[in-house]
Amino acid sequence: MQRKERLYAGYGDMPELQIPAQYARRALLRAAVFDTCGQEAAPTSASTVLTGVLTGVSRHSIAVHGGAGEQVLSLTPATVVWLGTQVTPSALRVGDLVIIRHQPRRAGADGPAPAVAERIWARIGRASGTIVAAEGRAEPEFLVDVGRQGGAERVVVAGASLRRIQVRFPRLAPGYLIDVIGTRHRGYLLAVAPATAQPPYRAGQPPAPPRSVGRLADPISGTAVWHEPVDEPADLLGLAYPELDPETHPETDYRAAGHARAVADHGCVRLPYLSLGSTVRVRNECTHRAVVLPVTSRGVIARQFCDRCLACGTSPKGRVADLTMAAFVELGGNLEDGCFNATLGLADWN
Amino acid sequence: MLDVVREVQIPLLAALLIGGCAAKARRAISERSIEAGTGPTAMFPLRLRRPVAIAMCASELALGIGLIVTAGSFGAGRLALAVRLATALLFCTAVCALNELRTRRPDAGCGCFGELSDTPVSWQTITRAALLCVAALSPIGVRPLHMPGSPGQAAVVLAATAAELAALAALSPEVGELLVRLSNAEPCELRRVPVARTLAALRASSPWRRYSPYLISVTPSDMWREGCWRFVVFPGVLASRRVDVVFAVYLADRRGPVRAGVLDVGATPPRHAPLQISNHVLEKHNT
Repeated sequence: MQRKERLYAGYGDMPELQIPAQYARRALLRAAVFDTCGQEAAPTSASTVLTGVLTGVSRHSIAVHGGAGEQVLSLTPATVVWLGTQVTPSALRVGDLVIIRHQPRRAGADGPAPAVAERIWARIGRASGTIVAAEGRAEPEFLVDVGRQGGAERVVVAGASLRRIQVRFPRLAPGYLIDVIGTRHRGYLLAVAPATAQPPYRAGQPPAPPRSVGRLADPISGTAVWHEPVDEPADLLGLAYPELDPETHPETDYRAAGHARAVADHGCVRLPYLSLGSTVRVRNECTHRAVVLPVTSRGVIARQFCDRCLACGTSPKGRVADLTMAAFVELGGNLEDGCFNATLGLADWN
Repeated sequence: MLDVVREVQIPLLAALLIGGCAAKARRAISERSIEAGTGPTAMFPLRLRRPVAIAMCASELALGIGLIVTAGSFGAGRLALAVRLATALLFCTAVCALNELRTRRPDAGCGCFGELSDTPVSWQTITRAALLCVAALSPIGVRPLHMPGSPGQAAVVLAATAAELAALAALSPEVGELLVRLSNAEPCELRRVPVARTLAALRASSPWRRYSPYLISVTPSDMWREGCWRFVVFPGVLASRRVDVVFAVYLADRRGPVRAGVLDVGATPPRHAPLQISNHVLEKHNT
């Protein structure tokens, strides 16, 4: 089971976030051994992303209450708003959870001008995991094990979207993997679009990754996806990593869980063993934006999907990072696309 | 010379067809799904994928055996012609199907040689299928195969075979994949290393001997791994101050380097420069 560990959104936020100091302190301890002074640091907060609850919307502006209090952003005709599909800002309702990518603030004559919102996603959600129960045909409902504590998640497929989802997920039956994007409603996710194509194997039976020899490729290419901040801060910049060291994170020991050895030691892509608190450099190959991010949770579901991303060209097979929503948007990803082609870089001293 | 090149195609094509079928069958058994990863079947509706995959595999096996059986004097004539034409038709269909697959499912591999063919379909794969189509057409009308009559003839046969295999290898992403799988040298970042081995290497190192007198417990207070290094932290006291003594053990080999550092327990990172904390580091020691 994936147990989300809260980690630092920035060291300065540690007391407020009640994060395990043990993992945050690892960067300090690492620096006591290795000279990391010249290395790029993980940002303390997102520079172009705002998450929070919508408190007001007009034709020209939007007000959002987030971690830093209420903020107002400008809307332009180029602002894209997503609420299940592309809508106008008037479709947004006060109380909606939103995540916004905005342009950096510019200083004006009377202080900093409001940032301009580029894209707004309202009530967006994602269910990625194993179908454990399914019922209904016209508007089917599923219980999906998303790898978190607290039981399975309820997913309803909107009738109008059923065909679109079935094209990419032909086996909507227990035991198979599902990954859909939709809008959050009270107690369930209303799926409107597939996030990827369904792998042909049953959950827990991914093909063994090809062996690697000699030096490990650096950076490692693959797919970056996103997950919802269920028990993490909404604005956390981090990633769920698919390959935590099973010796020091026994809960990720898939050999002990009975998986075949070939797939137990490595998921769909051969990634170096890391730990909670390790940092990696994630680069969006579509937007050419890169940022150093800490490993904040276990990518239990990500290691099950041997899929490719087609956001810009065809990525190599396998998910290398399951980013928090804020990190995904900060790197220029569009949440409704579900993924972007990514490369993962390791620390220079490694 | 040209006749020799045409004759060589028959055993080569037979080997490729039977090998392709065997690789697909191996994958089907290991993944418990006959249609898993068989390339162009991904373009068919779900209910048709299994029969299409079986038909592909069976036709490859049948044509491979047919090419061998009709290579000699048995079946020479119409039967040999039919088998060779059917083989050419199979590869011609493959060219079209791969081209279509590349357009419709750019993420899918061709599945030609089972799990070795997971690389997305490229122009090389399509060119290879076209080359094999031409190769299947070329032996039409050749006389029944026979053993080379002289060492010179045998050398020509070997040279033609080697040249064609080299051309096919250059067009095959599976070759690189196969070489990787045959090798056993896994990078240390990917190797699972037991904690007990790390602790044994640490306790045999010179940094351990230097810092162990300052430790107040020999039970690690934290342990984690980053690629080829495993970090082990022990509580200690140095110059009447509570410290964490951290060791980094290189995992690539049993007697790899060990590094050590000492950090004040009260050290907290500055707010905006999380990694620039050398002022809190009391001591570093490397072997």
